[in-house]
Amino acid sequence: MIGLVLRRLLASIPTLLAVILLSFVLMRFAPGSPFDGERPLDPETRAALDAAYGLDQPIPVQLGRYLLHLAHGDFGPSLVYRDFTVTDLIHSGLPVSLTIGGLALISALGGGIMFGLMAVLRPDGPLDRGLMLSMTLLTALPTFVTGPVLALVFALWLGWLPVAGWAAGAPRYLVLPVLALALPSMGAVAKLTRAGLAQVMEQDHIRAARARGKTGWRLISHHALRPALLPVVSYAGPAAAGLLTGAVVIETVFALPGLGRYVVQGALNRDYPLVLGVVTLYAALIILFNLLADILYGWLDPRVRG
Amino acid sequence: MNRLRLALPAGLVGLVLLAAWLLPSLLPWDYRVIDWDHVSAPAATPGHVLGTDSVGRDLLSRTLVGTRITMMVAIAAAFVSLIIGVLWGAIAGWCGGKVDALMMRIVDALYALPFMFVVILLMVVFGRSILLVFIGIGAVEWLTMARVVRGQMLALRHRPFILAAEAAGAKAGFIVFRHALPNMAAVILAYLLLTVPQVVMVESFLSFLGLGVQEPMTSLGILVKEGADDMDVYPIALLVPGGVLVTLVVCLTVLGERLRDRWAA
Amino acid sequence: MTSVFRYHGLRVEIAGRAVVQSLDLAIAPGECVALVGESGSGKSQSWMAPFGLSPGIASGEAWLCGEALVGRDEADRSRLRARHVGFVFQQPLTSLSPHLTIAAHLEEAFTQAGGARPDRATLAAALSEVGIDQPQDRLRQFPHRLSGGQRQRVMIAMAIAHQPALLIADEPTTALDATLRREVMAMLTNLCRKRGMAMLLISHDLASVADAADRLIIMRQGEMVEQGPTRDVIAHPGSAYGRDLLAAAPRLDGPAPHRPAIGALLLEARDIAVSFPHPGWRRGRLQAVDQATLTVHEGEALAIVGGSGSGKSTLARAIARLGPCDAGEVSWRGLPLPPRDRIRPAERAGFQPVFQDPVASLDPRWRVADIIAEPARHLGSGVSQQHILAAMAECDLEPMLADRRPHELSGGQAQRVAIARALITDPAMLILDEATSALDVLVAGRVLDLLARLQRERQLALLMITHDLAVARRLCHRILVMDHGRIIEQGDTESLIRSPQTDITRQLVAASH
Repeated sequence: MIGLVLRRLLASIPTLLAVILLSFVLMRFAPGSPFDGERPLDPETRAALDAAYGLDQPIPVQLGRYLLHLAHGDFGPSLVYRDFTVTDLIHSGLPVSLTIGGLALISALGGGIMFGLMAVLRPDGPLDRGLMLSMTLLTALPTFVTGPVLALVFALWLGWLPVAGWAAGAPRYLVLPVLALALPSMGAVAKLTRAGLAQVMEQDHIRAARARGKTGWRLISHHALRPALLPVVSYAGPAAAGLLTGAVVIETVFALPGLGRYVVQGALNRDYPLVLGVVTLYAALIILFNLLADILYGWLDPRVRG
Repeated sequence: MNRLRLALPAGLVGLVLLAAWLLPSLLPWDYRVIDWDHVSAPAATPGHVLGTDSVGRDLLSRTLVGTRITMMVAIAAAFVSLIIGVLWGAIAGWCGGKVDALMMRIVDALYALPFMFVVILLMVVFGRSILLVFIGIGAVEWLTMARVVRGQMLALRHRPFILAAEAAGAKAGFIVFRHALPNMAAVILAYLLLTVPQVVMVESFLSFLGLGVQEPMTSLGILVKEGADDMDVYPIALLVPGGVLVTLVVCLTVLGERLRDRWAA
Repeated sequence: MTSVFRYHGLRVEIAGRAVVQSLDLAIAPGECVALVGESGSGKSQSWMAPFGLSPGIASGEAWLCGEALVGRDEADRSRLRARHVGFVFQQPLTSLSPHLTIAAHLEEAFTQAGGARPDRATLAAALSEVGIDQPQDRLRQFPHRLSGGQRQRVMIAMAIAHQPALLIADEPTTALDATLRREVMAMLTNLCRKRGMAMLLISHDLASVADAADRLIIMRQGEMVEQGPTRDVIAHPGSAYGRDLLAAAPRLDGPAPHRPAIGALLLEARDIAVSFPHPGWRRGRLQAVDQATLTVHEGEALAIVGGSGSGKSTLARAIARLGPCDAGEVSWRGLPLPPRDRIRPAERAGFQPVFQDPVASLDPRWRVADIIAEPARHLGSGVSQQHILAAMAECDLEPMLADRRPHELSGGQAQRVAIARALITDPAMLILDEATSALDVLVAGRVLDLLARLQRERQLALLMITHDLAVARRLCHRILVMDHGRIIEQGDTESLIRSPQTDITRQLVAASH
């Protein structure tokens, strides 16, 4: 098992390098410069700025330097937020994004598995059909519609919760963004749980367990649930990534000081180190989530352990 | 009952599309024209069934045109993803072995990219044109299609009738296009239908962030963004485009899933 | 004497259609009754429905240890199942929960009737009793580590762990290797005798249950057509169907069938070797076929016989250029045959395959006429409608089937279509890969008759892959026996069956009797 994890970690290094290389080259070949402001800079100032940030060097040298710094945990300076390094920005924004994304993932998995189980206990009954239709509706709700609509209803009209803001992570401020972010994934998890269980319940080992007198919840919990959750686990890795990146919109809607806001600002202003740093960080996080999902998969299904 | 389960979502989508294509030319106000006499007009103002936005443009007209543009981008991008995905998946699944391993490693690597950022990156690098919006989205959305087709191909490849076709002297191209792909056409079509709402979401998402379709053109994402900015005083500007968007995405998803479940069985 | 299990006028309906009608049955303690019939005869529904293990609805009377089964709710039925019955299913590979260890499975079985939680030694002893070696290690393992035979033994150990009064075994040996079937069946009967358990045995194969069962019930289309003590039924079947069923199964005894004359050398394969990468994460390669050499002459039928995993199909596919081939040469009519990716149409046309699963070997979206015409389209210059109809007629297919699609055909019809397709290019040799083993006994018998006629009329050479020596004997001049990728024995059919030289062959002979 440990060997497998190490192998997978090693195998992810080329992927990560490829991501960095691709983003780096793409950004450098893009027209425009971070120093294009309201009025054109005079050439001397421009050259001085380029030299200060190393932009006058050939691209391979820039890349090499960047990687060297990266290896020391240094993401470089931000070109737009002049007083901060990218590391500072990540330091301040990542906890916010991780809190929102992590809570959303937990609610999506918890709520989704619960609803999926509720639906499958009476297959094709009214509860099942009603739940599955609402879950389909949930999966189709774009966060940038649900976010404002939730804020409109619960904050502006009913006044139960604050409209926006962070307030150092006070729970009242977290409810709406987490909910808006979690709902689509919750629908997807519920549907996967339902479909996975329905499929497993048809299998031979379930019939054999029923023949031995196992019924109802004991049958599901003991013999069906673990194999049935395999599709949920496969989904959870990419879903975690989706929740992280999906937080970009939620952070905009609810004015949260997360990383997503910096990405959009950085992209619009050609802040190369900032965008590159965040893309690299997120790629690493996604690889990590997928690895965790694979480990969980191995626990659920001994066959893949070999 | 079963027919209704397909007809209802299909009918709703058809109705919205029909309205989006036919109605705007019949309305008194073009979606770009500013009505100086009615700025931020409420619904049921003469000439403006749903009222106007904060600069005096007709909301109904803008919603319909926005729907049209969103759907055009979505359909075009879905076809881009269809072509890349089917070819990629079919080649990987058919060749198997090292070719398959390499091609699927590439797909996995692309999956590992924070894909919203890839699209953002593309928009930034190549400028914000509507063509690029859908090429960019299509280029990202083909991954699922490639995986599905490749999985189907791997499963079909070892079915005896494919081997029988080889024994009958059929060439690889003939086997892939006449035996294998027709047998997964239903699944491909269902996933194509499921790609459309995905792309609708991505396009709206980008437009919402100001990275997609640009003014004076409009799309559902832009309209939701504008509506969200004024929602405290004028909620209908959020609810109408948001409602159309959700209806489209829900109906297309339901349609795709029901067809997939029916045909995959 | 009171019976453990009794039906009177049992009827089972699925979606309003009767699949079992007025079935009577009684099993005394220690007695073994076998229910025999083809697929669709209702033999499985007749036990699954009363126990609530299928969607079928049972009516009539069904009694288990003095309690009624019909009309009870799921809670009652599951209690009765758990307390009094042990079940063994056909699918040993999938009937164990993949995420639970063997020990967890056995523990559940020991406690299902309310028994105390067993200790490790009891569990290990239960495994030993069903012939599993190293039981202590096996207890810790997950099902996927065990072979099909071992898993079926675990299923049997679980079925008897709670000392049930009745054991129901539905095709318990069908999915197992031919060499294992006898042993597992003998073990089942011994366990029942020893413990005085009643047993209900369900099978499609009369021969496989003949030794085990005290009494036989033959079912057809949901109705009992014949019943009585096994010996009487086999010696003097009372019904026409029973006689057909007994006659259809190929046998090792009886007079040798007439086999057509043999011509010049047609195919020669030398030192064929095929290897595959190990499945999963293991390194290295698995040698599936090693240094196999064989010849086939015009009009000659050669059988390659072996258990599953012996490499017989891999060898045939390597020779037919339909699978990988790492080393060795194949010559066809004296000329070397190019490898798979360079073989020419004229060479392909000379030998055509027929596969095991008849429906799966036909493209589900094509019409029968197009399916049959396909080889001619690629390998020849096309084919006329008349030619297709002639090929269909030769394989006893009615012309009206030409416009059907594969799912509208029965198994026997589908296999005839596959044979007609193989014949359309007028080949000199057919490669039959378990071509009759997925078919019901009577249907398989008729397909074998068809093949014998084609062999005679067309001077057709056959390369026949099978696990069943009796099937091989029906058509083949010579037999090769394979094991672990090597040809371990070969010879003329009659003498090989009469005096087998290796253990594997002896097991195969024993399994076919």
